[in-house]
Amino acid sequence: MSVEKVFGPVDISVSGMRAHARNMEVISSNIANARTADAGQGQPYRRLETIFRTQGEGASGVTVDEVVQDNSPLQRLYDPGNPKADASGYVSMPNVHLPVEMMNLNIASRAYQANAAILRRYQRMVETTLELLR
Amino acid sequence: MIEFDPNISSLLTNATGMTPRVNPPVSGTDFSKAVKALGDCVSKVDNMQQASDASVEDLLAGRNNDITAVVSAVAKADMSFKVLVGVRNKLIEAYKQTMNMPL
Repeated sequence: MSVEKVFGPVDISVSGMRAHARNMEVISSNIANARTADAGQGQPYRRLETIFRTQGEGASGVTVDEVVQDNSPLQRLYDPGNPKADASGYVSMPNVHLPVEMMNLNIASRAYQANAAILRRYQRMVETTLELLR
Repeated sequence: MIEFDPNISSLLTNATGMTPRVNPPVSGTDFSKAVKALGDCVSKVDNMQQASDASVEDLLAGRNNDITAVVSAVAKADMSFKVLVGVRNKLIEAYKQTMNMPL
């Protein structure tokens, strides 16, 4: 009797929870750095995006493939008094848009909840099956 | 989860000590096979319990900050233990019913 065989849904939903928690980490980095004008090499912060990938063929879990930079144009902010302003008085600011990040945060937290709900529901299903033994 | 360990080991000794007693002289009947399979299953379930204990300890000691791994290990240990207990109860019930059969 192989008890491990019944744990597919557990592993898959846990992988989903882990991946979306990682996604939430990336989103929180974006939000925290929404006004970071210098992210190392004097360049403004560029928002990061999570790329998901399946763990294997067929029914399988999810994993974070890579975290890539969003290369869309940076925001230009008119601030002539800023020492970093260019000749025409504009400062480059990160390409983070808070409403977009809030939507992504909602999606990530709902996805996390959904995976947790699957885990809980599956545990209940197994318990229901075991009730039949009595 | 930690308080399950003594039960598991006592179950294990009971199960291994029980097999010769339950085994009829003719070896390899269905019931003795089932009991033996249960005994093998006990060690697997014990491994999962120990893995879940270890992951909880790692989390509390700060060696690991992946709480989802702990959730996974604990859920697996919990479910496999429930499976084991369910099958064991059913086997013992079958044994008792057989023994109480009027001859």
